[in-house]
Amino acid sequence: MIEFVEECRREWKRLGVPDPIANEMALDLTADIEEAESDGGSAEDVLGNSLFDPRRFAAAWASARGVTSPPIPVDPFTPFPRNRRPWFRPAVIAALSLFGLLTALAAAALLIGRHGVAVAATIGRRAVLPPPQWFGPAMHPIQRFVSGPTFSSQNFGPFALLALVMFVACLVTLAFVVVYWTSGRGRDSKRLF
Amino acid sequence: MLRGVLDLCLLAVIGEGPVYGYEMTKRLRSRGMSIVGEGSIYPLLGRLERDGLVATRREASNGGPPRKYYSLSLEGRQSLETGVTEWIAARDAIDRALDLMKVEVSHD
Repeated sequence: MIEFVEECRREWKRLGVPDPIANEMALDLTADIEEAESDGGSAEDVLGNSLFDPRRFAAAWASARGVTSPPIPVDPFTPFPRNRRPWFRPAVIAALSLFGLLTALAAAALLIGRHGVAVAATIGRRAVLPPPQWFGPAMHPIQRFVSGPTFSSQNFGPFALLALVMFVACLVTLAFVVVYWTSGRGRDSKRLF
Repeated sequence: MLRGVLDLCLLAVIGEGPVYGYEMTKRLRSRGMSIVGEGSIYPLLGRLERDGLVATRREASNGGPPRKYYSLSLEGRQSLETGVTEWIAARDAIDRALDLMKVEVSHD
């Protein structure tokens, strides 16, 4: 019987029942059970079928008295209770989305920029050749100015690789944002019901 | 409905005078009500206490440890009176319904 009361105490401790109240309930329970046993009965006369589920009994009693603490939600992304940092999740989503967007833009700019240089390089190489009839010889200096320095096509490889890595990073980031957002919505809807 | 009836039974026993937990169980059982078999009365008493329907005080018992005695508060007494009135009305209605059924059965 002592084990039953001790199990109740552990449950009350877990539920955040203040010690004085837990002690009071444990004393009442012990006294009633002892009286029942001294009357020739048993703990079951006092507890009924609750005797076989002390944790449930203890939780029901504490809850009925309204002496349990509100549970602290477990969230790997928020070590503190959620309601203390309501800005955390939107801030993470916004920051990651911005990072993904900037990465995608940078990769696109890199590709387009290299592509433009490659085209310009081609034009530059063509500018060395005799100009076609319809272009006229007076266009050569302007054409060289616009096309800028010439690059060889071998320079294009590392930039394309870098752009590809940035695109992959962007996709991974956006996927993480979607998963994070979806899991948050699931928890919120569970909390509502 | 049953939950309300159990509360009403406890209020009725407490209304007879200050009483502690196990004493309530014994009185109910002596009147043919073994509500303890379904669980225990402690959560019910806890709810009555939380709702302000009973007042409590700790007193030394005869030769035993101090016990928590329950007595009716003003709200508890009003709730008991209202509950008894509603119970009698419900019981009469059910009795009438059962009498009607008995008549129908006797006609068959």
